[in-house]
Amino acid sequence: MSRLIFHVDANSAYLSWEATYRIQQGEQVDLREIPSVVGGNEESRHGIVLTKSIPAKKYNIQTGETLHNARIKCPDIVIVPPRYWLYMQCSAAMNKIFLEYTPNIQRFSVDESFLDFSNMENLYPDYLKLAGDIRERIKKELGFTVNIGISNNKLLAKVASDFKKPDRVHTLFPNEIKSKMWPLAVEDLFMVGRATAPKLHNININTIGDLVNYDLEILKNKFKSHGQLIWNYANGIEFSEVRKSNYIDMKGIGNSTTISFDVDDSDTAHKVLLSLCETVSMRLRDSQNCCNVVSISIRGSDLIFYSRQKKLSVATDSTRRIYEISCYLFDNVWKGNPVRHLGVHITDFCGNEFYQCSLLDNFNYEKDKRINSAVDAIRLKYGSKAVVRSCFLHSGLSSMCGGIGEEDYPLMCSTL
Amino acid sequence: MKILALPIEMVSYTDNKGSIKPIRFRMQIGDEPMQVIKIDKVIIKETEKIAGNIMIVYKCQSLFDNVFKLFEIRYEISTCKWILFKV
Repeated sequence: MSRLIFHVDANSAYLSWEATYRIQQGEQVDLREIPSVVGGNEESRHGIVLTKSIPAKKYNIQTGETLHNARIKCPDIVIVPPRYWLYMQCSAAMNKIFLEYTPNIQRFSVDESFLDFSNMENLYPDYLKLAGDIRERIKKELGFTVNIGISNNKLLAKVASDFKKPDRVHTLFPNEIKSKMWPLAVEDLFMVGRATAPKLHNININTIGDLVNYDLEILKNKFKSHGQLIWNYANGIEFSEVRKSNYIDMKGIGNSTTISFDVDDSDTAHKVLLSLCETVSMRLRDSQNCCNVVSISIRGSDLIFYSRQKKLSVATDSTRRIYEISCYLFDNVWKGNPVRHLGVHITDFCGNEFYQCSLLDNFNYEKDKRINSAVDAIRLKYGSKAVVRSCFLHSGLSSMCGGIGEEDYPLMCSTL
Repeated sequence: MKILALPIEMVSYTDNKGSIKPIRFRMQIGDEPMQVIKIDKVIIKETEKIAGNIMIVYKCQSLFDNVFKLFEIRYEISTCKWILFKV
C-alpha cells in the first residue's frame, strides 16, 4: 500500500504572520507587499535578516545577512522585530486546522508540518481537492498562505512544497522525480548545505540529476555514509515515519550565545559560561541523564571559531562541575583575543540513577545534588529568574542564557 | 468605511451562555471631547481568528450626530480589549 504524505509550509512564515497580525490590529500597509524583513536586535548584535518579503527578494536580500547590508541594498526597507509568542500562536492555530483532517501530524518546525493521509482513500478520494481545501481554509481563516507538497514520502513532499511560491499545491510522486526534481540545483536537496554543496561542485555535480548519475562508490568514499544518504535522497528513497513528536533519542545538549559586547577579560567570560551551564545542566537533569564529555566553543570578534572538549572521570549532572570544566577548557584555549560568541555542549550520556565515585575526587556530589534539585524545583515553580547566582547582580548579563525565550518553541531538526 | 483601530471603553452585557453583547461605548478622537455612543443594533456578529488571534467582530449601526452610521467594533479575547475598527 503506497503512502500519501503532505508537507505544509507557511510562506515566509515570520513575515506573513507579523503582517496578518498587524492588519488585524488595524495597520493599513501589508508588509508582504512592500520590501520588508523580520530582523533581530542590532544593538545586542543579533542584527540579521530572519525572513524577507517577496518584494525584498527583488533587491537580492538574503536570509541570514546583516540588516546593515540589507539597508544598503534597499534604503527604504521596513525592518520589524521578531515576536516568537505570535509565531507559536499562528503555528498552534494552523495545527488545530490540520487536526480536523488527520491525527497523524509531525510538526517538523514552527512553520512546517508533515501530514500523513496514508490509507484514507475512502475518506478523501481526491488528494488534490483535499490539499486545496486545507490551503484555502488556512488562507481564509488565519489570513496567511501556505505551500503544500504531496508525495509518497516525507522527503519528496518537502521538496515539492518548495517548488513555486506562494500559495500553491505541488505533487512530486516517484514517476515525476526525473522531470521535476532532477533539473534542480543540488543545493535544493534536503541535507545538502553550505558544507556539502561546494564539495559536490568540485566534483562537477551541479544538479540533483548529476548526483543521481554519479558513481555511488566514489560518493561513499568521499562523503562516507552521508554520500549514500544524499544519493538516496536524490533518488527519492526515504522511508521515515510521520512521527508524532520530533523528539529523537538525545545524544547531546548544547547552548550558545552571541554576547552583546566583546568580552576581553576571563572573569566576564566565565560568567557567560556559567549562565550557559545553568540552562544546559538544568536540561540535562530534566532528561534524567549525566554527561561524560563537556565541550566549549569560542568565536572571537575576528569570527574565527574553535572548540575544545574534555572527558570526565566521573559522569555528572552538576551545574558546578560542568562550569568548572568549561572554565578549565576556556582558560587553556583562550589566547586573550576579544570573544563574541561562547557555547557549552555536553555529550556521552548515561543514566543518573547512580554514579561511580573516584578515589581521587574530593567533590561532594551528594551535597551538590541537593542544592541543584532545590534550585531546579524553585525555578520550575516560580520561573527561571526566581533564584539567580549573586555574581550576576549588576553584571548586565542574563543569569540563564540562551534559547529563544519561549518555552517549547519547535525548532527545525536535521533528521526527517 | 475607514479603518480607525481606536481603543474604546465599553459597557457590555454577557448572558449566562457566555455570549457578549455591546451596549454603549465611550471614545475620544484626538483632542475632541469624549463621545458616548449607544449601539442601536448589532447587524452581524462573527468570530475571526486571523494569525490565530481570536476576535469577535460586531457590525453595528448607531446614531452619530443624528446620522445613522454603520461601523465595526472588535473584541480581542486574549487581551479583553474593545476596538472601534472601522467607521
